[in-house]
Amino acid sequence: MDDVFKALADPSRRELLDRLRIENGQTLGDLCRRLDMTRQAVSKHLAVLEAANLVAVVWQGREKLHYLNPVPIHEIAERWIGKFERSRLDALADLKRALEAKPGDDE
Amino acid sequence: MTSRERFKPGTVYVTYIAAAPEAVWQALVDRTFTQQYFFGLSIDIEPRTGGAFRLLMPDGSAHVTGDVIAWEPPRRLDVTWQVAGMKGFDALPACLVSYEIEPAGACVRLTMTESHSWAIPEAILQGGRSGWPQILSSLKSLLETGKPLQIEKKDPPAGFLAAVEHAVATKPWLREDRG
Repeated sequence: MDDVFKALADPSRRELLDRLRIENGQTLGDLCRRLDMTRQAVSKHLAVLEAANLVAVVWQGREKLHYLNPVPIHEIAERWIGKFERSRLDALADLKRALEAKPGDDE
Repeated sequence: MTSRERFKPGTVYVTYIAAAPEAVWQALVDRTFTQQYFFGLSIDIEPRTGGAFRLLMPDGSAHVTGDVIAWEPPRRLDVTWQVAGMKGFDALPACLVSYEIEPAGACVRLTMTESHSWAIPEAILQGGRSGWPQILSSLKSLLETGKPLQIEKKDPPAGFLAAVEHAVATKPWLREDRG
């Protein structure tokens, strides 16, 4: 679990996870093209994410594809958020989304 | 027979479980286990490559049907996966669900891969993604503590059913096959 928190503590690594959430199964090259980071930096961050099990890797032929693996985050949520809190938290998250979306909708 | 090569992974989920590979395998293929962690569904599977595979609702109707593509206890299970219990879904091409069990120190690493033979829209993929982390976490909890997690079935994400309807109406996989 320490690995997961350490991996998530870095904004560049969170950005990489966001990129995979938008488009799963990208190669290192795909990820580098869309980010303002050196290839070495992206490669290093991916290794940290992989070690924390937040990124799963699949080889397809000679291509190494990276997939977002949210299971460890789900396990953390299960540890501190029980069944009963969840519906209340979902309601709060919905409210937050609705309130934050409003200015954009009016424009 | 379905060949694995036609399928490209769309979702890959990994969890580490403190259990023996044989115990994880049993949890995947034994209905008394799946009933506890897989939204109450019972697995009905012929224990051989080429056999039939189904996930049954509590009333005995099939929610998922498919064929066993690889039966390699306690390492690898591949099945084709056709959702039968939801309107429109039986018209979509079957996907391939693979479970891989690898020893990892005192644990096992369980990888679930959902692969598709066509460029499946993101909106449909999201529907599957919302359920798997709950299922895998509950499976882990069941094997490690003897108790599954309380999981609740959520409504499919926005746009999911519309995306399925659109795919069924336009059948993009037929165009891809020609190309």
